[in-house]
Amino acid sequence: MADSGSSGEFSASLTSSTLPPPRTRIFKIIVIGDSGVGKTCLTYRFCAGKFPEKTEATIGVDFRERLVEIDGEKIKIQLWDTAGQERFRKSMVQHYYRNVHAVVFVYDITNAASFRNLPAWIEECRQHALGNEVPRILVGNKCDLQDSVQVGTEVAQQFADTHSMPLFETSAKNSNILKDGSSRGSSDHVEAIFMTVAHKLRSQKPLVLSQPSDRAGGTVNLSSCGDSRGEGARSWGCSSC
Amino acid sequence: MDGWMDGWMDGWMDLLYIIYLIFICFFSTEPNVGRKQKLTEIHQALISDPVDIETLKRAAATRGGLLTDEVRRKVWPKLLNINVYNLPHRPGRDVRDNHRDHNQVVLDVRRSMKRFPKGMPASERAVLQEQLVDVILEVLKRNPQLHYYQGYHDVAVSLLLVVGERMAIAMLDTLSNYHLRDFMDPTMDSTKHILNYLMPILEQVDAELYDFMMRAEVGTIFALSWLITWFGHVLSEFKHTLRLYDFFLSSHPLMPIYLAATIVLHREKEVKQTECDMAMVHHLLSRIPQDLPYELLISQARDLFARYPPSLLARRAALQSHKSLSISTFQAFQLSTLHQRPDSVLQRLTKAHGAATSGHGLGAALSRDRGQLWGKGNRMVKMAVWGLSATLGAAMLAVAQTAMEWGPDVLLQLF
Repeated sequence: MADSGSSGEFSASLTSSTLPPPRTRIFKIIVIGDSGVGKTCLTYRFCAGKFPEKTEATIGVDFRERLVEIDGEKIKIQLWDTAGQERFRKSMVQHYYRNVHAVVFVYDITNAASFRNLPAWIEECRQHALGNEVPRILVGNKCDLQDSVQVGTEVAQQFADTHSMPLFETSAKNSNILKDGSSRGSSDHVEAIFMTVAHKLRSQKPLVLSQPSDRAGGTVNLSSCGDSRGEGARSWGCSSC
Repeated sequence: MDGWMDGWMDGWMDLLYIIYLIFICFFSTEPNVGRKQKLTEIHQALISDPVDIETLKRAAATRGGLLTDEVRRKVWPKLLNINVYNLPHRPGRDVRDNHRDHNQVVLDVRRSMKRFPKGMPASERAVLQEQLVDVILEVLKRNPQLHYYQGYHDVAVSLLLVVGERMAIAMLDTLSNYHLRDFMDPTMDSTKHILNYLMPILEQVDAELYDFMMRAEVGTIFALSWLITWFGHVLSEFKHTLRLYDFFLSSHPLMPIYLAATIVLHREKEVKQTECDMAMVHHLLSRIPQDLPYELLISQARDLFARYPPSLLARRAALQSHKSLSISTFQAFQLSTLHQRPDSVLQRLTKAHGAATSGHGLGAALSRDRGQLWGKGNRMVKMAVWGLSATLGAAMLAVAQTAMEWGPDVLLQLF
């Protein structure tokens, strides 16, 4: 595993913050990125299993959670959905960077500015002591709008590699096309993205060293929107990759 | 001839308004006896010279608030010292040019569908959304020192839906310079400062709850959207939002924090039963129950404000280090509302000064149309018609009251 060096530090922070009964661990994931890139839709999609009909601007921080089971272990995934407007991130959101286990950076593939602003978000994280040792992933959202792509997969992949992050391109929306019949549309991607993060976090916990999980095989289907699993993704250490 | 017609029509409007008042007194579904009396008091306060602002404020804060949108259109401007006969013009096309917040405003307004009434046709909503963008950008353009924040659009839409475009601009302009001023700094440090008043209130009332929340390190961000949108962002029933707007428009800028405190206190048992963890407590509190007893909470908030005024909290909680513009300018603002003339006088003055009250557009239809009519009216005829309407109105009231004693059936036959 490329970044196994960080696992000790990571698990330490986990154990110290875990309050509930021993079997339910909590993984806290913060979702950040520019206004309007689809952070609320992504987190809602994962936690409620569907694309929200109407989403509004997030004011401050919204919280969603979902209980998942990985190899028989129940894990609570907590998603912190943050406001995109700069004024909120500067003085409001920092409270929520504490004890975060993973970071999801989101940009909109149809909005070049949201991609250009990523370094500012990465810097924001760094200032809150969330550096490279904390699992981070990059998500390009709105893959369903293929006609208005402004951020190509290649340039995004390059950026992701530079920052040692895996890249996923997805659509929080595009699932209805495959409503009947095949269930392996991009509707699974959002699910798979967060599950990949959960697997990653779980693999960092020393107690569960033993088996690479088979269930993580689902993540293989992630990149139908483009060949998004470049070096960064592979080096990231998801046990099934 | 024109003048006579206008005066006559204007008298008719007054007559219709009085009949309307009588109607809502008797046919309201709300079994509130005080309602009728309240409407009369509001009407009296509006025609007093100067306008009886204290009565209007009391009406807005006490049970039921201002009761109807019709009354709100008359009273809201008074609460903010706005002359409805001298409203800003509708923004032109150039209002959207090169404003630093343009993109963010458009983004937020486009996805604010939930704020519009459910049955509204999409085309109508689209028109209002465009107006909403214009209203917000116009106010921001007039006040370059003010910065847009996500949630400002929730306040703007609540005003727009009740008072129309031009009056919404006037109201939002005043609110932004006073009640909302702290939220509109370049950073949100001042907003954080206002939020810091929340925990000291809880500490005064329920030390156990306070300790619990401190241990959970929940912070106060759960109340952020409540504060900066005056709850407009989190309530699904527009009538509840309006009730709170009545209250906040008539209150100190910190009142939303006191109401936030009463909501937390109201849910004290739930809070204490939840896991003492930041995420859990934040999750619980940020999801506001839709069936809150608003009238009770409002009266509790007023009590808390009287018992623990901001100055007291500031002393106890070392909150004074930060200067709040909303708080420091409030007294002057309040004083400015004390010397308003009633609308009838304002109309005459407007005419005398030849002030332009160009009346294009849709918003605030009633007030503006009346403004135009008055502008041309013949005073003598107007007085006569006024007298006639008042007499007729009083007669109607007397008849209706007698009828009420006989029973609603008789009253129904009457109309």
